[in-house]
Amino acid sequence: MEILKVQNLCKTYGKEEARVDALKNVSFTLEKGEFAAVVGESGSGKSTLLNCIGALDTPTSGNIMVDRQDLFSMKEEQRTIFRRRNIGFVFQSFQLIPELNVEQNVMFPLLLDYRRPDPAAVGEILELLGLADRRRHLPGQLSGGQQQRVAIGRALITRPALILADEPTGNLDSKNSQDVMDLLTQASRRYQQTILMITHNNNLVSSADRVLRITDGVLKDLGGNADEKLS
Amino acid sequence: MKSYLELIPISAKVHRKQTRMTRLCIVISVFLIAAIFGMADMFLQSQMEQAIQSDGAWHVGFKALNEEQIAMIRARPEVKTGARYAVTNYRLDMGYAINGTQTALCGFDESFFELYPAVHLLGGTFPQEDDEVLVSESAWDRLNLAAGDSIKVTTPGKPLVFRVSGYIEDTMGLLQGGAFGVFMDTDTYLSYFQEATLEKDFVYFVGFVPHCRIQDAVEDICKQLEIPRDSVSENSKLMGLLLQSSDSYILTLYLVAVILAALVAFAGMLMILGSLNSNVAQRTEFFGMMRCLGATGKQIRRFVRLEALSWCRTAIPLGLVSGMAVVWILCGMLRVASPIYFGGMPLFGVSWIGLGAGCVIGLLTVLAAMNSPARKASKVSPLTAVSGNANTVFAAKRAADTRLFHVETALGIHHAAGSKKNLLLMTASFAFSILLFLSFGTGVDFMHHAIQPLRPWTPDVSVVSPDNSCTISDSLLAQLKENPAVSRIFGRSFAYDLPVRLHGEHKTVTLISYEDWQFGWAEDNVLEGSMDRVKNGEGVFLVSREGFAAHPDDEITVETKLGSRTVTIAGILGYVPFDAGKEAGILICSEELFRQLTGEAGYTILDLQLKDQSDRAVEEIHGTAGEGYTFSDRRASNQNVRAVYFSFALFVYGFLAVVALIAAFNIINSIGMSVSARMRQYGAMRAIGTSARQLKIMIAAETATCLFCGLITGLALGLPLHYALYQKVITSRWGDVWKLPVSEICIIAVVMTASAVLAVVGPARRISGMSVVETISAQ
Repeated sequence: MEILKVQNLCKTYGKEEARVDALKNVSFTLEKGEFAAVVGESGSGKSTLLNCIGALDTPTSGNIMVDRQDLFSMKEEQRTIFRRRNIGFVFQSFQLIPELNVEQNVMFPLLLDYRRPDPAAVGEILELLGLADRRRHLPGQLSGGQQQRVAIGRALITRPALILADEPTGNLDSKNSQDVMDLLTQASRRYQQTILMITHNNNLVSSADRVLRITDGVLKDLGGNADEKLS
Repeated sequence: MKSYLELIPISAKVHRKQTRMTRLCIVISVFLIAAIFGMADMFLQSQMEQAIQSDGAWHVGFKALNEEQIAMIRARPEVKTGARYAVTNYRLDMGYAINGTQTALCGFDESFFELYPAVHLLGGTFPQEDDEVLVSESAWDRLNLAAGDSIKVTTPGKPLVFRVSGYIEDTMGLLQGGAFGVFMDTDTYLSYFQEATLEKDFVYFVGFVPHCRIQDAVEDICKQLEIPRDSVSENSKLMGLLLQSSDSYILTLYLVAVILAALVAFAGMLMILGSLNSNVAQRTEFFGMMRCLGATGKQIRRFVRLEALSWCRTAIPLGLVSGMAVVWILCGMLRVASPIYFGGMPLFGVSWIGLGAGCVIGLLTVLAAMNSPARKASKVSPLTAVSGNANTVFAAKRAADTRLFHVETALGIHHAAGSKKNLLLMTASFAFSILLFLSFGTGVDFMHHAIQPLRPWTPDVSVVSPDNSCTISDSLLAQLKENPAVSRIFGRSFAYDLPVRLHGEHKTVTLISYEDWQFGWAEDNVLEGSMDRVKNGEGVFLVSREGFAAHPDDEITVETKLGSRTVTIAGILGYVPFDAGKEAGILICSEELFRQLTGEAGYTILDLQLKDQSDRAVEEIHGTAGEGYTFSDRRASNQNVRAVYFSFALFVYGFLAVVALIAAFNIINSIGMSVSARMRQYGAMRAIGTSARQLKIMIAAETATCLFCGLITGLALGLPLHYALYQKVITSRWGDVWKLPVSEICIIAVVMTASAVLAVVGPARRISGMSVVETISAQ
């Protein structure tokens, strides 16, 4: 089942001489439960692609369908609600809410939806993240790896169709990086969630089912993970 | 680049938008301080102008001095001007008259003109010969005099003849009394009237040189010349304005002014402090990066301080200029409203006090306020630059409580109350606005007590029966009513000292008749009973006073020349603008009932309010009334009252407006700063699905929490301060008991709530229009 469908996506910044084509006719699809990694040089357009798919940025042209819904045909408020229910985000710098503890941060998207979180589901995710004994801690009291795990928990709590991860291990050491990757893979397998991850780190690509390379705004599907193709 | 400090202008250019709020905050703080101190300065100047015009430029007056003492005082270096002044028939009750018009006789030295700038020589010369005199303008005009003419003054003894050498402006006292004035050189005066002059009416007025310590000088003069201290009078208003008064009440006012000035300065400090703190907090990551690159704590402190000073370079002059602009507007309004009294006010005058206060307080505050953020910046760990916590503006110590409220409301409350220090700062700055407003609010009470504004019934001119009898005819009233210059005319008849019997007790009353206008004005003062019954002649109003306790439907028996008649008390009045002496009561009745009771058909006084206040119109009215009545002209004194009231009200309400502005700005700025500081966090929240509406609720909850805490704390601190100031300024002087300042509280609460709403709208709009991508990736 197609969860993400990107068609002829273009994104242009600036005008005339200062014009930069960050994305050029990007098209691809992701199936349910697929874990895809986007690789590319710095400035190649990876983050722009992710921001457009996450509806954080507006594309210049093209379509993005998430779970068969056209993101940009919705009104702003509608799109926000759709995003919090159907797209989970994991940022490089975690972006946790410092005033909420681990449990509250994880539950945050549900609370925004005025839904009563199921304690069992929250407990299950915290167990999965290995944060059950830290549920009352504030982000400031956690290590970087733990904070990123909380961010992953937050992305998982609504069981979204799509999880977008922007350099999720960029601020972490190798041990924590591996833990985070394991978690994302586990989530993909366990909850059948589609994950699109941006990374610089070639070593992490091995966890992905599919690799997409982006060069100067042009996307190339490298198919199933193949280290030799990337090296 | 030669020094790391050169990064400051480069950083300022790059972060222009980010530092705009801080620079604006300094501009507005300096503006408010400069405006309020400038206004205070101009207020003092305007009051001084007005005081000099109405009461003279003299500082002290010595009574009953001999020539030797006068010469000794005149010879002192600190005495700039001295003038002898003596008057006979000042109270118009000694029988001096010209052509039947009561006349006051004055003697003064020529230097008196310097001490009374409002008294101008309008024509002719100051008397040089022994028999030469000046006359008042009204006498000059009405008697058709010219220089060299003779006038005959009737006295209780032999009549005196003088030669007129010129004429001077009428004084308010002469105009109100409808009297003439004759003015002569002091030596001439003494040769004629030394015997007739009361000791208290012979004064030596002294004007001291500028910057002289007048109280010390007076003390010294009294000691050396053995002058009793109680024979020295002060020009109290002028002395008070010169900060030279010895009056204990004025000293209390100085104290109150110092407290208010300190409060204003402190309010400015709080505003700047809040904004700088917030600015540094937003750039924790930047300072962390600087530390990472090897900058020492000391270097960071230096960087932060110099950066703040560089903002001052443009912000302080801008604040000063805008502060002065407000002062110019107020001065312009004063000049337009009352050119006679405030024509001397500078239109584009510079208030050095305002500029100095704005500059010094602004600069010192920025320097002082920078200490804490500079220290904070210097202590930023280099780790913050590389860890993910750099955007944690106010590190949370405990989690928000999401059980009671929705998560966005809970977070908003937590943003306000999560950090005790932040809450304290916010509450203090909000509460301070209330404190300031309530403190300045006592100025309104002071104004209402100290200056009686013109009442609706205040006449411009009055025609008065010379012996207070009811001799002014109905026909004169009808004739004057036809005059197009007259907007309103109303007469009253008086019957003095009528014996009455009330509840079996014998007393005396003054019976006064009212017509419709006066009944209308008295409506608000009816304590009990019916206005209609009195208007219809079915009874009388008794004016409430000690010894005259009665209720509606009680009866009072009045003895007049027509005999005794019992009338019903139809109502009780709380106030009338007349005084009947210590013992007598006052009864008010309709004109018809007055005629029935006394048999008198005429009026004692006709009050006229004028559409056309020109001299020509007044002369015409005077001509119609003729010479048989006392003609009281109150235009000048009304103008004086209007000028004093207007100038006072302009500044008092100006202060309140500026204070309300401080409150509004403080709230909008504090919330704006708080939102700016959390912008990245809001961006992240938007990214994970928080809607713009939810963020708006979050900011509203934060604002409401601060507002609530501020209001409660402000009232808890402001009311005791208001009480203390009220006791000192009002109760000690006029005895009024302190009451809860409900209107002031309501006004400031409304201002603060409206500002809070505005404070939410702006940032909420900013958030809904923000680019999530740019916000979360912004430095």
